Parts: sequence; C-alpha cells; structure tokens
Amino acid sequence: MATVTYDNASRIYPGSNIAAVDSLNLDVADGEFLVLVGPSGSGKSTALRMLAGLEEVNSGNIFIGERNVTDVPPKDRDIAMVFQNYALYPHMTVAENMGFALRIAGVPKEERNQRVREAAKMLDLEPYLDRKPKALSGGQRQRVAMGRAIVRSPQVFLMDEPLSNLDAKLRVQTRTQIASLTRRLGVTTVYVTHDQTEALTMGDRIAVLKDGVLQQVGTPRELYADPKNVFVAGFIGSPAMNLFTADVTEGGVKFGTAVIPVERDTLGSATQVTIGVRPEDVVVSLTESTGLKVEVDLVEELGADGYLYGHSEVDGKRTDIVARVDGRIHPNAGDTVYITPKTGHVHVFSVETGERLGGAVVD
Amino acid sequence: MTAVTTDKALSSAPARSRVSGSGGDAAVASVSHVLLVIWSIVVIVPFLWVILSSFKTTKEILANPFSLPAHWQFENYAHAWTDAGIGRYFLNTVIVVACALVIVMLLGAMCAYVLARFQFPGNRAIYYLMLAGLTFPVFLAIVPLFFILRNSGLLNTLPGLILTYVAFALPFTVFFLYSFFKSLPDDVYEAALIDGAGEWRAFFQVMLPMAQPGMASVAIFNFLGLWNQFLLPVALNTDESRYVLTQGMASFASQAGYSVDFGALFAGVVMTVIPVLVIYIIFQRRLEGSVSSGTFR
Repeated sequence: MATVTYDNASRIYPGSNIAAVDSLNLDVADGEFLVLVGPSGSGKSTALRMLAGLEEVNSGNIFIGERNVTDVPPKDRDIAMVFQNYALYPHMTVAENMGFALRIAGVPKEERNQRVREAAKMLDLEPYLDRKPKALSGGQRQRVAMGRAIVRSPQVFLMDEPLSNLDAKLRVQTRTQIASLTRRLGVTTVYVTHDQTEALTMGDRIAVLKDGVLQQVGTPRELYADPKNVFVAGFIGSPAMNLFTADVTEGGVKFGTAVIPVERDTLGSATQVTIGVRPEDVVVSLTESTGLKVEVDLVEELGADGYLYGHSEVDGKRTDIVARVDGRIHPNAGDTVYITPKTGHVHVFSVETGERLGGAVVD
Repeated sequence: MTAVTTDKALSSAPARSRVSGSGGDAAVASVSHVLLVIWSIVVIVPFLWVILSSFKTTKEILANPFSLPAHWQFENYAHAWTDAGIGRYFLNTVIVVACALVIVMLLGAMCAYVLARFQFPGNRAIYYLMLAGLTFPVFLAIVPLFFILRNSGLLNTLPGLILTYVAFALPFTVFFLYSFFKSLPDDVYEAALIDGAGEWRAFFQVMLPMAQPGMASVAIFNFLGLWNQFLLPVALNTDESRYVLTQGMASFASQAGYSVDFGALFAGVVMTVIPVLVIYIIFQRRLEGSVSSGTFR
C-alpha cells in the first residue's frame, strides 16, 4: 500500500523535441483507483511506463510512498503490471507464471504454492494451473495476468489497457471484477485506458491527458458535470457533447434563435464563445419554436433511448448535433426539429483558449 | 563424399515441403509436390543403395550392384568400427562437435540477444563485423588460422579444432538469432523485469526459452555444418589419432588404393550419416512451436 506521486515528471523520447509526457503533476492516494485516460498518443501509457521504470524520466521525480523511485530499476520498485497483451511467459504453466515473481524473491516453495492457489481461487483459475498459456482462452489469459499481479501483493498495480483484447461482453464483466477486486485488496491502482466508459465506471478518480499534458483530474462526476476545457468536455461522455461556437448577444449567448442567459462579466469582452450541451440535456421539439433548427439525418434506436443525429447551420457552418430522444416516440430522418438546452446544463468555453469560463451558466 | 551431400539434401527436403504446404494455390501445390517426390527419390534411392551395400561383400557389390545381399554382412560394421578406426574418429567427432556446438550456441545467443535488444555505441559496427565474418570464405582463413593455432600451441589438438569450429559457426549463429531475438515481444521481457528479474535472469529464464524454436533450427544447421566439416580438420588436425569422421572416411577410401573394402566403406558411411538423421529428427519436432503463444493475437 502506498501513494504515488508524479512531481513535474517529463519524458522526451530520443530524437524528438516534443515531450511525450510534459511536466506531469499527479497525486494518487493510498488505495485509490486512478484511471489515466486520453486518445492515442496522449502519453498515458508513457506515464504508466515511467512509473513502472520501463521508461526513463528525463526531468522531475516519481515517488512511490515516501521513496523517490525516479532512478530505481523496475525490479526494485515493488510494483506489478498487467499488460495489454498479457505478456505471459509462454514456456511456463499458469502456476509458474503466477509464481515467477515469488520464486525470484526467494519465497519458499510451500508458501509460494499456497499464495498461487489462493490467487487462482479468487480468479477461478484453479483447474488451469498446470496448463500453458497457449491452451487458454483470451479471458483466462487475462485472468492469469491479473493473478500474476495479485500474487505478489505489491504496493501498486499498474494496468495498461488490460481489457482491450477481450470481446465486448467479457470486457464489461471483467471491468466490474477488476474494480471490485482491487478495492477489496485495497491496493493503489493506476489504470490506463483510451475508453472513457471504462474510465467513468472504474475510476475513483480520472486523469485526462492530451498530447502529454494533464488536462483535468477529478472524480467521474466532476469530469462529466464540470469539464475544465473543451477537450475534456468532448472526450468524456458518449455520445460526445455537442460543441459549437455561438455569438454573444444582449443578456447571454445565442442558441439558434433562442438566447441562453449568461452573466456578462464571465464572458468578458468576448464576442463569441464555444458552448457545449450534452445529448441528454436538450429538449427536442417537432413544432416550430425558438432554438436551434436541426435537420434529422438518422435516429439510432437503443431500446429505451434513441439518439438523434442531425445537422444545423451555426455561424454559416454545418454543425453535427446529437440529441437523446425517447426510444419509441421520436422524430424520423428527414424531419426538422428545434432543440433548446435544458437550463443549468450549458457549458461555456472560451473560443481562444478552450478553457471553461467559470460560473458561466445561469439557471 | 557422396553420402555427406546426400544427407544434407535429405534433411532439407521436409523443410521445403512445409513451406509449400501452406500455399493456397492448388496448381502450384501439385507441381511442387511432384517435384518434391522426384527429389526425394533422387535423394533416398542412393542412400538406400549405400545401406544395402554396407551389408554385402566387396565382391558382391562389384558383381551385382543392385542385388540384395546373399548374407547380411554385419561384420562390415565391426570391421569398419575397429579395424578402420571409425570408432575412434566417431568419438573425436562427437567430442569436437558437441563442445563446439554448446559453446557456439551459448555465445551466439548471448551475442545476438545483446545486439538485437540493447542500444549502445558500436552496436551496428559489431553486427556488421559479424555479417562480414559470414561473407568471408573459409579458404582464405586457412593459412592464417594454421599459424595462429601453431603459435598458440593448439595445432593438431581437439581444443584447437573446437575453437576454430566455434569461430567458424559464430557469425551465422549470431546473424540468424539476431532477427529471432528482435522479433520476440518486448512486453514479456518487461514483465520479467517488473517481476523482479535482473538482465541475466530475464535472458536465461524468459528470453532464451522463448527463443527455443530459433535455437533449435540454428543448432541443427550448425550440427550439420560442423559434423560434415572437412576442410578445417584436414588443414588443422593432421594427427591421425585425432582424426574426425570425415577425415577418417577419406583416408579409408584413399589408403586402400585398388583393394578398397567397399562393404566396410559403406558401413562407415552409414555410421557417419545416421547421427545426422537422428539429430535432425529429434530437433525437427522442437522447431514447431509458436513464439508468441503467451501473448494475445
């Protein structure tokens, strides 16, 4: 059990001028499940590998607990890692795979076997202990990789997209298993994923990265309800938030023909802002009214809900709009609808910096 | 040494058929199968004839080359083994080839591993030197080798021959294993480091076992090359008590002049070839086995 601290940690790959991870400052509490999320190339895996000691730290420091591990080799960091491709040792049986770290650490055979069996029991792997990895299914291999990490009772679990090679159904199952397992064991976990659904469902807190720069850290709810900038707003949530530029007018911001009340002093001297509305935060009306006029292109039915995909003219540009509608009664493709945001659910961002304009929304 | 070239062809025939077997085109497959059958016949028939003749007397061989033996002359083997000294040559060969093989596989694997997976100044230079060693004809090295071994007191000794064999086989071993180690997945190595393994343990307990298919194929090639090696021992190992099999067979055939005991000669040939076949069959099974069976996809 330990905390993890990134203190201005940077990684610049040789032959590149741009930092893959740029002055990362991040604190992970003891026993916390932190998810690093971002699109590919955002530096999330690099950040994890820096913590593992597989990637050099060019500047700054990394601490596990009180210990500065910046220059400590991986084998001395007391961490366990689950890899995307599981990285099982193909020539060893499941039991040997799980016990390898203990064998290196010089744990006596009796205790080793016992700990391997305990972990195998926890993961339903007992019947497979004598098999080689190639005789296992993808889900079983994934569990062996988890088991290899659990057996060691390390200070920190590192997981690098451990679910991305599983099929959709198994992924959802395993997602909850991993989250509950790590909470039960109370081990600090740093989990990397590109899938924002995974991040939202698993993490105690989420850290969003983009181009090596940390965008925002917070609980899933904070990130969803209060995104700090346009990137986080667009990245968290599925389908993504509707984001478009809108003109500032008397008393607020234009939303089609409607005006959303926004306090003047938060807007400053800006004449335009980026506004964001989540698909579930709009009201769709078939009758002509104020709001944004949207041509419906397609409606996806998902049973209880449906998603309406359409486009509109905003500021002379075609803008795609997504809105959640009822799964049974909804407009159809070709219809024209008028959408207005629900009050209190409009996010306002600066056009220049993309930063959230604090307290911009008036109920 | 017809038998020597024969067994080389024999051992490479199944390797080719595996490759063509994966091709999808039926026409190509049938043509290649016909060619392979013809080739197999060309290779196997002379070998069978040698085996058959090894059980006949010289007179029988000269009179009826293709008949079955009247009496199965097992004494040909006894004669070749003891009187012609094949037994001693056999032992010499086994010692030299086994030692050289162990050393070259160990050194070659370590060298290839480091060159393939670690970045350091001079890495490319060393690799290209190894490649240069591969292109360098052994004939050009014979005279300098002779003097080096003589000056270091290793001429006409088995250790001297072992050392020469190691140097002779190392470039190919490194070259072949280099690409093999390059292709091994990084994350398994990283998993070993995180599990607490140092570089040595990661190499010997994780990476080397994973490279087993590559090691097996290189070991076979090296074994064939060294077992059949003729030029190097002829030049560097001229003491008759330390002859290897190839030298022994050559002197057996040439010393007797016109009164060659063909039955015993063929028995000697069979005894020279059999170990090669046995080794190939044993190792050939190990060649199969996927590199990436532990990782997904």
